[in-house]
Amino acid sequence: MSTIISHITNTILAIGESFWFLVDVLRNICLGRIRIGEVLKQMYEQGIQSIIIIALTSLASGVVLALQSSVVLERFGAKEFIAPLVALSLVRELSPVFTALIFSGKAGARITAELGAMNVNSQILATRTMGVDPIEFLVLPRFLGCFLVLPVLTVFSELVGIFGGYMIGVYEANVPSTFYINQTIDSIRYVDFFSGFFKVFFFSILIGWTCCFQGYVARGGSLGVGRFTTKAVAFSYIFVIISNTLLTKLILVYWG
Amino acid sequence: MIIEVDNLHKSFKGQPVLDGVSFTVNAGETLVILGESGTGKSVLLKHMIGLLKPDRGSVKIEGEEITSLREKRLLKIRQKMGYMFQEGALYDFMNVYENIAFPLREHTVLSAEEISAKIYELLELIDLKDVASKYPSELSGGMKKRVALARSMVLGSKVLFCDEPTSGLDPIRSRDISDLIKQVSREKKCTTIITSHDMKNSFRIADRLLLLRNGKIVLMGKEENFVNSSDSFVREFVD
Repeated sequence: MSTIISHITNTILAIGESFWFLVDVLRNICLGRIRIGEVLKQMYEQGIQSIIIIALTSLASGVVLALQSSVVLERFGAKEFIAPLVALSLVRELSPVFTALIFSGKAGARITAELGAMNVNSQILATRTMGVDPIEFLVLPRFLGCFLVLPVLTVFSELVGIFGGYMIGVYEANVPSTFYINQTIDSIRYVDFFSGFFKVFFFSILIGWTCCFQGYVARGGSLGVGRFTTKAVAFSYIFVIISNTLLTKLILVYWG
Repeated sequence: MIIEVDNLHKSFKGQPVLDGVSFTVNAGETLVILGESGTGKSVLLKHMIGLLKPDRGSVKIEGEEITSLREKRLLKIRQKMGYMFQEGALYDFMNVYENIAFPLREHTVLSAEEISAKIYELLELIDLKDVASKYPSELSGGMKKRVALARSMVLGSKVLFCDEPTSGLDPIRSRDISDLIKQVSREKKCTTIITSHDMKNSFRIADRLLLLRNGKIVLMGKEENFVNSSDSFVREFVD
């Protein structure tokens, strides 16, 4: 019984600590304590690290979506709707979610592992002894890097996915190229693009927050860093999936 | 006096680590805190730089009580102090030059040339002129400690804290790093507080020594007080 109570107490304390951590990060942003050079470095590293796997996943998603839809739509004599189906699926749902999940596993894990290793090697403590706030110097650039690079990667993923769909639509399903392109452009309305984009901003905050916090509180040597990194990725996945469900409903209710 | 520790108590998960520790450190003095492993030496040092909050008691730095201060004010105060970690705690994503330059870039308005001159002067002092472009992963344990010492002193700190500076080093390197700390402390005229369980080197560099056991001070005094002590634990520790 006492173990359960202590587990619940620890969980509540950890949640509280993670909220204070986020408040501290946001406070630093509001106070303008942003190291532009460090943020750009993080954007570059996080972006470069994830871009190839995101390109591959997005291309495969577009290709598979077009292949499947061409078969199904042909049964109903509606093959010309491949382009809108692929484009809308990617822009509204698949690209934001896939990109966020892949980003969590690659860049998010890296953020946690880096901060965790710094923590167990006393580098975060050393930052404090040198009179520098580690949130400002080590956490904020990673958090902002994540916040800024994930939307860019999502747009990239959408374009690559649509290209994958185009290849199948045009060369496999024999839809005329110009028709496919026009159908794609005509089908995507602002609301479709921004509904996906809106989700990505939430995902980027959740991933940045989770991965930075888990790294910042990591302990227990190299084994501990591994444990906290796994936890960060698992939590990021759960948060992305749950928030996606809620945000999709919210967007459908208010934007359609 | 520059540091005043008064009736300091600290427990972790109900286990007392510091149990009413009180002492003072005078300006320019070198104090070595001795004790067995896990006896609370590093915990005491972390209280003195405000990294830990005590359960009870106070720590004053130049008359200012620091235990109740917020982190923002502590960050300011720590700019006047240097802290050398047991394993160095150098940033592994920066090379030696950047590691030592970091506090200068953060807290001074020195030009790149002035920073460079200062760093090479320090590298000369610690006899590591040729490693400026190397990363911490390319350095030996002793070299890391020397670079960490240079980084902790680069702002011209009034107080230098060294946590187990000789641990993990062979006897020759231990002597060298101890002598280097003494030399740097003298040249920079700073107050130095060192934790150690290395008696031989502690006697070489300390003005006074403090022996901790079970969170309490067993003896505080000069080398002769330790050598002539009749306390069985002190005798055992000295011998």
